Amino acid sequence: MSVLSISVRPSRITGWVLSWFLFAAGISLYFYTAQRRHKENPDDRVVPTLAQLGAGIYQAAMNPDADEEPAADAASQSALDRFRNGMLWKDTVASARRFIYGLALLFPAVLLGLHMGLFPYFGTFFLRFILFFDKIIALSVLPILFIAFGIDELSKVMLIVIGVTPTIILDTFNLTRSVPPEQIVKGFTLGARDFDVAYRVVLKQIWPRVLNSIRLNLKPLMLFLFAGEMIASTDGLAYRIALLRRHMGMNIIIPYVLWVALLLFLVDLTMRLLNKRLHPWFREA
Amino acid sequence: MRLRSALLFSLLVTLPLGAQKPAFTVGWSVYVGWNPYYYMAKSGIMKKWADKYGITIKVQRFDYAPSLEAFVAKNIEACAMTNMEALDMPAAAGIDTTAIIVGDYSNGNDAVLTRNGVTFKNLPGKKLLLVEKTVSQYLFERGMAMNGMESQIKRVQLVNTSDSDIAAAFIADTSHEAVVTWKPLVSQILKTPGVTNIFNSSQIPGEILDLTVVRTDVLNRPDGSGQKFAKALAGAWYETMQLMSAKGSGTDKVLAAIAEGSQDSLQSYKEQLSTTHMLFTPQAALQLVTSPEMKQKMTLVKTFCFNHGLLGEGTKSMDEVAIRYPDGAVEGKPDRIRLRFEKAYMQAAGEGKL
Amino acid sequence: MVPGSVTETGATQAAVHAEPAPDLLIRLENIHVSYELADGSRKKVLDGIDLEIRRGEFVSVIGRTGCGKSTLLRLVLGSEQATEGRVLAGGREVARPDRDRGYVPQKYSLFPDKTVIDNITFGPEVEEFSLLTRFRPMFYRRRKEFRAEAMRQLRRMGLHESDATKYPDQLSGGMQQRVAIAQALVMKPKILLMDEAFSALDPGTRAGMQKLIRQVWRETQTTVLFVTHNIAEAIHLGTRIVVLAKDGAESSGSKVALDLPVPGVDEELPKIAERVEAAAGHSRLDEEE
Repeated sequence: MSVLSISVRPSRITGWVLSWFLFAAGISLYFYTAQRRHKENPDDRVVPTLAQLGAGIYQAAMNPDADEEPAADAASQSALDRFRNGMLWKDTVASARRFIYGLALLFPAVLLGLHMGLFPYFGTFFLRFILFFDKIIALSVLPILFIAFGIDELSKVMLIVIGVTPTIILDTFNLTRSVPPEQIVKGFTLGARDFDVAYRVVLKQIWPRVLNSIRLNLKPLMLFLFAGEMIASTDGLAYRIALLRRHMGMNIIIPYVLWVALLLFLVDLTMRLLNKRLHPWFREA
Repeated sequence: MRLRSALLFSLLVTLPLGAQKPAFTVGWSVYVGWNPYYYMAKSGIMKKWADKYGITIKVQRFDYAPSLEAFVAKNIEACAMTNMEALDMPAAAGIDTTAIIVGDYSNGNDAVLTRNGVTFKNLPGKKLLLVEKTVSQYLFERGMAMNGMESQIKRVQLVNTSDSDIAAAFIADTSHEAVVTWKPLVSQILKTPGVTNIFNSSQIPGEILDLTVVRTDVLNRPDGSGQKFAKALAGAWYETMQLMSAKGSGTDKVLAAIAEGSQDSLQSYKEQLSTTHMLFTPQAALQLVTSPEMKQKMTLVKTFCFNHGLLGEGTKSMDEVAIRYPDGAVEGKPDRIRLRFEKAYMQAAGEGKL
Repeated sequence: MVPGSVTETGATQAAVHAEPAPDLLIRLENIHVSYELADGSRKKVLDGIDLEIRRGEFVSVIGRTGCGKSTLLRLVLGSEQATEGRVLAGGREVARPDRDRGYVPQKYSLFPDKTVIDNITFGPEVEEFSLLTRFRPMFYRRRKEFRAEAMRQLRRMGLHESDATKYPDQLSGGMQQRVAIAQALVMKPKILLMDEAFSALDPGTRAGMQKLIRQVWRETQTTVLFVTHNIAEAIHLGTRIVVLAKDGAESSGSKVALDLPVPGVDEELPKIAERVEAAAGHSRLDEEE
């Protein structure tokens, strides 16, 4: 049978080779292009070579932002100190802080969705408006955002919140509604009161799905964070990428992009493992 | 068998191409000093000059950053850009570039605006909105230096704000007290009460130049078509400059047509022109380019670029990106010339030899 | 066992006039349930039901699919409201589900996020400790006691100690329902409402569950309202059988077609079965699933 059939599976080794093939192909193509371009023009900055990339990574990790005041004891710093004062780390911390604030504000959104799904008056009050609000593209109302929140940290976090919260609210709302009514009735017949049913019966059940929903929304969250940083910022990962665009510093941009991908992957992995640890009974992965 | 017919086909295709007219593209973006390109294309002046030299010239409009990227990627042969970008983008990326036309310099188009009476003296420790690593940042640093605050430059907190949002951001958020940007955004912001213009490019005349640059390897093409391209550009440019600066009623019509290119009204275009020192005649341009101040000012610009890593992250010294001036003087390593100022075309235009 | 005269059409005459007897637990008065369809017409589910349930009875409610027997149960449970009429439990009107009426549904009877033992201790824990007091040290002490009691219930239901830490999805259908019954009984409800609780089980397991519930009923003397569509099960388990059937067309609501005590004598059972079948409408009433 041809390997293109549904019924044919690769062996472990073949599978391993196959899954890494595109990476190998992509990387080879990249370095081939870099080499070719550099033969023509040794100063080419659009497709940096491995050496340039290495220099770029070192530069970003160890050297501080050129526009900042140098630390007083710059000369006597250890490698770890230099890293912590370096551009990459400071940018990561700045972006991470905003990311975490945005993420933290998703939890009230979960509670809102939960209450909307269970308490009918509550649901009727909020649902229509949130459905509408969900359709507002946050980036298009930037001037209003600026007036309301300024252009510092608050507005960046609010951009994330406005962009991602409606999805989480509506998702949680739907998850709440999909809990079988028998469960809720059961709760009452066992003496639970309204809030007991909400938190000890429903929320406990839907938590793993809610966490998965948040995981799925990590990318949009990052997107809004980046949009905010590229529009007006003093630091951050996206801020740095926007700056480096101006003079094609691809030897730093490419490492930054890969670094962001790695961070996102780690956050997602952490959430997945946490979900598994906390909810061993949840089988849908 | 297939390979052979493919080769044959490509040969056949390229042969007639050789018999076609050489084609070139010049890219421009919306800015008061470069809008004339719109008019040159629309009125047929560009075609006239292109036909005269037996070549085809395409005039293509871009956003500014994409135009630079297209020039660096060698997709277009000529481009309108400032002297700073000419250094940063093509030159520092190893692409030998020649400035064949110096069109104007910013004479107030770029400005530092503040509210609450903030001056350079009390700027350190405050936040400044601007598009980092551009002419705006250069203007800011020059302003600080000229007010004796050079040592405090790094204590000002720069907030990189995209140009599409910088006006709205500054107007809306009154907690930010300073902004550097260019017209027409400057005009918009000045409408807000309490905002003053504390420094602008008219105080550093001749430092922010608007150029038309051509890739040096294009100019040096053995069949001379590159030179024809440059001559056609220069000829078309100065003809248009004449129309723009002529005394009489016809001028307004020309200016209005140029203003169409940026969807400006005649009035707003004229207002922008008022803070731009246009070098309408080749003589004026030549005078600027061959003056001793020119070299000093370019050095200032190059120093700024080097200090901010704009000449390339790995560039060890300023001399790695050398500039050649019309008199043959080279600033930097002679074997690393990347930016040239060529007076030949402007001179020929002035002598009517185009 | 049932006082008052019972006619074929089902209205219990005496009960309408007398004061609620001390052992009268549930009363449905002139219940009509209907709802509006998408096209605006009204669909009638229950059409004038009067029913009384007394303490200690095991009432089997039977009828064809769609005859409204589950609706009837839900009215007593409190999760559904009648369009007309009253539902009284212990003399008070039923407004919502509460702990005096235990519930064993056909599916989703256990909390999937809790172990077997936690499912059973849920009721006692929730009753004594609110969300705020849940984290006090007293809770953990009491929980030990609750768990001990829960283990006793588990064993009584025929489950093993090793099952206590399993999650519901690790148990078979029969075991799940055993836990569900234990969970409900631990709250000592006045009446146990079972909505087709055994209908999803295979015949062998089902037989075992029938034995179990009959035994539990005898031991705890709980009142049971048992909804099923299996005639044999209904007759075998119940002390009284109530048949719901539509009076005429499909669109009409159901009425009580038959309301009989189940005699203790086995010979009479087939006759009862015949009468039940006849009352329920043609023989399409399922004997098995």
